[in-house]
Amino acid sequence: MKRMTNMKSSLGLILITAMMVLILAACGNSANDNSGNNAAASSTPPASESASAPASSEPASTEKTTIQFWHSLSGKNAEYMDALLKRFNDSHPNIEVVGTFQGTYDETVTKLQQSIASNTGPDVTMLERAYVEMFADADALEDMNPMLTASGMSQDDFIPGLMGHSVFNDKLLALPLNRSTPILHVNKTLLDAKGIAIPTNWDEMKKAANALVVKSGNEVTQYGLTMPYDTWYPIAMITQDGGKFFSDDKKTIDFFDNGIGEDVFGYLKDLQKSGALFYPPTQDSGTVANQLFTSGKVAMMFQSTGSIGGLASEVDFDYVTAFLPQNKQYANPTGGGNVAMLASSKNKEAAWEFIRWLETDPQGSLAFILQSGYLPFTKAMSESKEIQDLWAKEPNRKVAFDQLQYAVDTNKSVVWPEVMNEFNSAIQAIMYDSKDIKSTLATFKKEAERILGQ
Amino acid sequence: MANRTTWDRIRPYVMIAPAMAGILTFVIYPMGYLIYLSFYKYNLMNRAKSKYVEFDNYKQIFTRGDFYKALGNTLVYTVGVVALTMILALLTALWLKRNTRLNAIIQGGIFIPHIVSIVSVSLVWLWMMEPSHGMLNALLRSLGIPPSHWLQSSRTALVSVIIVAVWQAIGYYALIISAALRNVSPSIYEAAALDNASRAKVFFRITLPLISPQLFFILVIMTIGSFKVFDIVQIMTGGGPNDATTTLVYYIYSYRTTNIGYAAASGVTLMAIIGLLTFVYFRLLSRKVHYQ
Repeated sequence: MKRMTNMKSSLGLILITAMMVLILAACGNSANDNSGNNAAASSTPPASESASAPASSEPASTEKTTIQFWHSLSGKNAEYMDALLKRFNDSHPNIEVVGTFQGTYDETVTKLQQSIASNTGPDVTMLERAYVEMFADADALEDMNPMLTASGMSQDDFIPGLMGHSVFNDKLLALPLNRSTPILHVNKTLLDAKGIAIPTNWDEMKKAANALVVKSGNEVTQYGLTMPYDTWYPIAMITQDGGKFFSDDKKTIDFFDNGIGEDVFGYLKDLQKSGALFYPPTQDSGTVANQLFTSGKVAMMFQSTGSIGGLASEVDFDYVTAFLPQNKQYANPTGGGNVAMLASSKNKEAAWEFIRWLETDPQGSLAFILQSGYLPFTKAMSESKEIQDLWAKEPNRKVAFDQLQYAVDTNKSVVWPEVMNEFNSAIQAIMYDSKDIKSTLATFKKEAERILGQ
Repeated sequence: MANRTTWDRIRPYVMIAPAMAGILTFVIYPMGYLIYLSFYKYNLMNRAKSKYVEFDNYKQIFTRGDFYKALGNTLVYTVGVVALTMILALLTALWLKRNTRLNAIIQGGIFIPHIVSIVSVSLVWLWMMEPSHGMLNALLRSLGIPPSHWLQSSRTALVSVIIVAVWQAIGYYALIISAALRNVSPSIYEAAALDNASRAKVFFRITLPLISPQLFFILVIMTIGSFKVFDIVQIMTGGGPNDATTTLVYYIYSYRTTNIGYAAASGVTLMAIIGLLTFVYFRLLSRKVHYQ
């Protein structure tokens, strides 16, 4: 009997141990998948299959260098990117670039942080431009200057307005890729019906937006203007009003003491109160704004240049784009993704070859830009026949590019992501709760100074 | 023989070793690491740039208005969800007490929200609560009641989130309570009937005490769960408007990329609060729980 129970218990022990090992192994595997570890990604067929376009043949030679490339493109844009990667892999027998979608810009940043901490980061990544400085501060990105020079290129090859988040401490850490700016989208049919010209400054905008309001009873059925809930648009207006987001010494914010913040938000609140401005809810605000615009319930919209293609295919009215209206000057921030090489990459030569090809080869980004509607980012690209033809056909896209001459980014700081959270709170307090503008911005200034002082 | 006794002595430890290995790896170690992180201004990507800041993160937590706002929101949410769910689940269970076919169908019906993913639930309610063309406001208007801003005003946002959470939870807890009700021996009720006890008395003196273990369990589980609420907030409001629905876990989440040390310190604080709350529950309430 005694023997029996002993045997039973040791059998149980073995079973439990085996189960534990299995569980641990399973956890280990999934962790690897999440961090996109080199070995894991190449050993799991689905990941590489979905990334390097379906028809691509298996690597024949064993001396191929594999480059991991993380991006934040989904839907149609992901298909365009997959096609681009296939073109690269087909033309480079010695390099295999494996592209992996890592979620939104923010999610990609979180994953990058974790993968860098555990030494399993990719070689090349797409990085939302506002985050570049944070990674630069941690020395996580490779200086591409020497490689750029060695390839006979220079920073002057790029459109200056899109290089605002590329150079930190004299190091070239990121190059533009899928970039956009905010722009004014206009339902010209509605404006023409009232004989209103497209507004070019704040005063004209206020008059036009108010004139375009249609009410039935107490409810507004047609608004003059809308914009997604985002820091982008208030920042654009701060610079149009002659202000900057951060002060030059990066110790505080610039737009409070000089009254510019009150000016901007006062203007928006006036429009909102009269029914001229529809300020959408925080969740899904871009989609809500787009839907209002395409269904003709709002006449004008501040929105990314990246939505031109989508809007043009959906509207049945005369749709045009224009510069964001000026107050003291024309000005607009930029956004979208840059491409960067990680300092931890073990295949820097191959990684650079990919980035160089991506940035300059006609088979590289040019086709991607044409398809997706993002902004051309090199001078050669903007002068190319393909882009010129496109602009002749779709002048709306040329307006977006022309506005880049006024591009300025004044919210650059290593702690911008943290300050952005506080600025969002301030925007919400003012736009949704109609809190006092001056005291809300004073609180924001205090919080920003606390973060900047750390 | 000596071998045997040594084996006897270490055998229990060997037996629990596999389980302990799991607990150490997945519970104790992460907790220790969390506490370690909370004393640093931590740079995830470059450890050399991390700074030991002693209690600075904690000092910041307890001097910042937004933390207290998140804590207040969490308390309101927890009290609201726990109280409403318990009362409504209890009433539903009492209503469904008789074992008829119709009741079985109704019970199945109210249990369905529990098996639907909270993401789908949140999205559907998000559409229904849309102020200008949502279903709820259309309903209110047709009844002549002024429509509400629901999630888009900081005055009503938290209540709206509570409504969704309660709606989703009722079915599950009603099921637990009605199982408890059916376990109460009918002979006790018969005895009470013979004594001509009033219905209120039967409920408060017999039913409630006899299902108190289950109610206590629900109270503890729901309090802890509500304190950790995240998914509904993430999908329906993103913590807004104006931080009106920022709960503690969402607060921690919002610092995940920008300040991991501060997020860790907030996490430790949350852990301490939940620990304290559970402890208080057990001290104060466990004596009132009646085990058969």
